[in-house]
Amino acid sequence: MQAVCSRRGFLAWAGGVLAAGAPFLRRSPGHRCHASAGGSHPTPRPGITAAKVLTRDQLADTPAIIPVFDQVREIPEIVDGIRCQCGCADLEGFYSLLSCYEGDAMARHCPVCQGQGRLAARLHKDGKSLDEIRAAIDARYG
Amino acid sequence: MSLVRWASGLLALPLLTASSAAQIRASEAASVSQTVDGTKLTVTYSRPRGRSRDSLFGKVVTWGEVWTPGANMATTLEASKNIKLAGHPIPKGKYSLWMVVRQQGDWTLVLDPRAELFHMAHPDSTAQQIRFPVQRAERPFAEVLTWSFPEIRRTGATLAFQWGSVYIPLELEVEPSYSVAFPAAESAPYLGQYEYKWSMPGVGDPKPVAFIVSYENGTLLARWDPVPYPEWSRFVLIRIAPNWFVPGFLDDKGEVYEVEKGMVFEFKLTSGRAAELEVRGEDDKVMASAKRKS
Repeated sequence: MQAVCSRRGFLAWAGGVLAAGAPFLRRSPGHRCHASAGGSHPTPRPGITAAKVLTRDQLADTPAIIPVFDQVREIPEIVDGIRCQCGCADLEGFYSLLSCYEGDAMARHCPVCQGQGRLAARLHKDGKSLDEIRAAIDARYG
Repeated sequence: MSLVRWASGLLALPLLTASSAAQIRASEAASVSQTVDGTKLTVTYSRPRGRSRDSLFGKVVTWGEVWTPGANMATTLEASKNIKLAGHPIPKGKYSLWMVVRQQGDWTLVLDPRAELFHMAHPDSTAQQIRFPVQRAERPFAEVLTWSFPEIRRTGATLAFQWGSVYIPLELEVEPSYSVAFPAAESAPYLGQYEYKWSMPGVGDPKPVAFIVSYENGTLLARWDPVPYPEWSRFVLIRIAPNWFVPGFLDDKGEVYEVEKGMVFEFKLTSGRAAELEVRGEDDKVMASAKRKS
């Protein structure tokens, strides 16, 4: 077999995804996107909408991530009930995973924010409840 | 006083302040920290030097003394989660460390929940303390008292003390975040061979490879054939949710050396048997997929 990429290369690739986003991930001194467990999931805010989720036009410079923003835009009432596990949940102004797709939108660069959004959308499509989706998010990212 | 001298005096003030904060100490402050499977362990201490004093133990530290293995403020051990030290349960928290040093036989290690004690406190025995005997070994002379973590394992580490020729290794166990054990009765749906294809550009063989799941020694084992990287020759499947597993890669002794959470194997069962699986990355994108062959 011809391994086209070494394990070290694989890890470098994986690290590179994070590192590439790191300069954009700083919202406060010393903070960067990293997997972090803990904390309870928020209660979805009544009447929450996806009005603040970045639009396709706002994501024109990063077209690869437009689909996950589209997915999240369709289920704000679900995503608003999930605590992001990347470490951003402790930041000022953060309420839920939905916050990662609004404003500065950490999800533009953070694979953990993106992964949780994709997983939530996928499981919601499979008919899973919010509690089941939360349990899956905790198992994967907690 | 001339203006120049007055001004230079003002300039010197911050320097004086800075220099007074610095101090050369016979026993300089130090700390050593180690995280093992999410448990953070920190030893904070001051490091006395031998300074050509003969018989560190027996003279500098007298026999029978309840001595903190350090200097100045008592040495502390802090654990972020419950641990076991030399087999003894230690609830998470911060403890001052003491040793009862003896000329003959084992010494006694004392963990006192009163963490902030001066080295002269020599605490008496209390019900709140954790005390157990520790065995000494001899090592080449170490000038500076040293705490270290010379070995790290999946489930723990060795915490070692050394000063002079006295070396005391302490086996430390953490609470594992994963169990590699898997019930035999639940293994059948996953066992067998799958045709596996990497779908991440530049990773693994572009052609399908075999993915084999077996059950050995109470664990669900998996391997690729051929392997993508030598270090990934085989791994245990660690269940994190129903039908979801993360790989625990094994070293040549069969011990897990790394659990890769950014790689989740999701099996899809049909009629109670896994028919296919997807491997998803941290971003939940499909890294690979496989279909059962046998």
